[in-house]
Amino acid sequence: MPLPDLNALLQALLTGVLIGSLFALAALGLSLVVGVIRIVNLMHGELVVLGAYAAYALVQLTGLNPLLLAPVAALLVALLGWPIERYILQPVVRHGTEAPLLTTFALSIILQNLLVYCAGGDTRALESGLGARRVGSGALGAPVIYLIGALLALCVCAAVHLLITRTDFGRRIRASAEQPDAAAIVGVAVRSYYARTFMLAAGVAGLGGALLGMVFSFTPSSGVEFLLTGFAVVVLGGVGSVKGTLLGGVALGVVESLGATLFGDGYRLFIGLLAFLVFLTLRPQGLFGRSA
Amino acid sequence: MRSNLKLALLLAACSTLSACQPKTEDTPANAAPSEIVIGATIPLSGALAGFGSFQKWGYEHAVAQINAAGGLRIEGTVRKVRLVIRDDRSDANVAAANIDTLVSAEHAVALLGSCTPPLVIAASLAAERNATPIVSGCAPLMSFRAAKQWQWAWDLFFNEPELAEAPFKAWRDLDVASNHRIVILHDNGADGTVVGGQLWPAMAERYGYTVVANLEFPTDTTDFNASVQQAHRAGADILMVDAVTPQMVSIRKQLASAGYTPKVLVMEKGAEPTQFAEAVGPLADGVMVGGYWDASFSHAGAAELAAAYSAETQHTVSQHIADSYTAARVLLDAIGSAGSLDKLKLNTAIAATDSVYPVGPVKFAADHTAALSIAELQWQSGQTRLIWPLSPQSAAFVSPAAALATATAH
Repeated sequence: MPLPDLNALLQALLTGVLIGSLFALAALGLSLVVGVIRIVNLMHGELVVLGAYAAYALVQLTGLNPLLLAPVAALLVALLGWPIERYILQPVVRHGTEAPLLTTFALSIILQNLLVYCAGGDTRALESGLGARRVGSGALGAPVIYLIGALLALCVCAAVHLLITRTDFGRRIRASAEQPDAAAIVGVAVRSYYARTFMLAAGVAGLGGALLGMVFSFTPSSGVEFLLTGFAVVVLGGVGSVKGTLLGGVALGVVESLGATLFGDGYRLFIGLLAFLVFLTLRPQGLFGRSA
Repeated sequence: MRSNLKLALLLAACSTLSACQPKTEDTPANAAPSEIVIGATIPLSGALAGFGSFQKWGYEHAVAQINAAGGLRIEGTVRKVRLVIRDDRSDANVAAANIDTLVSAEHAVALLGSCTPPLVIAASLAAERNATPIVSGCAPLMSFRAAKQWQWAWDLFFNEPELAEAPFKAWRDLDVASNHRIVILHDNGADGTVVGGQLWPAMAERYGYTVVANLEFPTDTTDFNASVQQAHRAGADILMVDAVTPQMVSIRKQLASAGYTPKVLVMEKGAEPTQFAEAVGPLADGVMVGGYWDASFSHAGAAELAAAYSAETQHTVSQHIADSYTAARVLLDAIGSAGSLDKLKLNTAIAATDSVYPVGPVKFAADHTAALSIAELQWQSGQTRLIWPLSPQSAAFVSPAAALATATAH
């Protein structure tokens, strides 16, 4: 097998960073829900796909560019997140950790079926018109849509990080996550903050889905793939850490991209998961997680 | 939390296998004694849903025509046909389970198959276990034949070697200029491995082309950037891809993202459904795909079938309406000629099929297959046009770059 040249490796590195940023954006919501509400949200992949479908429906409705409609799609998914958390997840949280886990599993199947029912099972993609435009030279460059996606991912991760660490809202969320009983005693409406966190997570997932829909294709069953990637990113970065999620996403993207360049696209996932397992053996708490 | 994560990963993995509860359409609990129940398993969701929607229409249209004509005469009594369709979610295990349910719970006397070798073979094996005849119209014949010597399963479709050879014949007859360098990308599914891994390289050698790279990927891959970059660097004028629709959409988008527009682009299998063109827009234009039917074919009923589909759905016609409609008509005609619901008699009647249908002449060989003739189609202005074999109806070949420039200008 001939080794790729330096240009090919640099191109793989660049593509990996850009795609990895999108992975991070799509996984951020999962990290927030696991870190704050302590629920392993198995419907996270469907929330990502829902963002893509919401953007697709909005494009059909308005004819506008999906890039402009991605925030609206994110908002719609965020709004859906509130009743899900408030009326379906909150009542089962008190019954231990397994009940919400299985509930989100059931919800993921229900959402998949609803998408098939409402949108059909066909393959869809979002056309931004920027997919074929490139920045850079022929040997080393990137599509504009990848750059915009990565930039948006960076901005959203930074905004969520600042929201969690520098605002009163974030302080209450952190209090609800770390000491819910103590937070409730001092007047924090813990349940309300859980619902808001879930909304935020759903919205970010929806935005990630809309952007991923412009880069890849999607079907109602694409959620499982996003969920597995999300788990890898969250565990790599450290549960609940926004910085870690961003770095975890980029790291996974780079490892997969370099692996695919060296061994072929068929080994992309294999290389990514192998690196993930090796990393976990060396640092089980992830990049920014606390050790037990 | 750690144990929850383990359970979560397990459940996530299981969710791909669970395939939920397959959706059933038109399924009253028990058939009225006067009805003839035909069961069908098709992919209405999942990666192959693009094919399933056409199959559904083809099967339903054939049954509706028979019922509109009064039904089928069975042992002196005319009976209506009831079609029960179950979604196999593009999953072979679900397809097999659907067949068991259709026979045991719905009391189907005969069956119609799914699409692509994994699903068709899984459903056919289940039909064999249930000793119930099944006719499929969407599995390439080599793969179907290779599975076993069938007793109850029948398949009408194209032969992989003919499909693999068609682009080479088309370039020769259409005098398509290129540097004769080919890059092949193919999935590791049954037909992807046969067409992309074995037949295309063999045909390339026979017709004087050089395969500069042959890259295989798993059927669930979504990111093809490395393969696209490798193909781009190889300097091939011709790119040949064999993959299902979701992968094909990603590949076409990532080709455009990489700024790589080959002079000839063959995208077999996944670029065939209309959903491909809907998903990639003008990027579909210029893509070549093998075919076995076009509305312009002279077979009796071909034009009428296309007109009926367009009128009913307002969608672009796909060749899959022809094979699915024909599969259903072959089965229904066999029931009619057997005049009985005895499964052995039905099977014998299917074996005796020798008629011309909208998809072409159908006559089963001893190995239970009937081969359809192959044509080359090309997406042009959002529609597939017949470009080979040459005929007064065929359109001229257009390179992807020229097709894209035309589409963008419009």
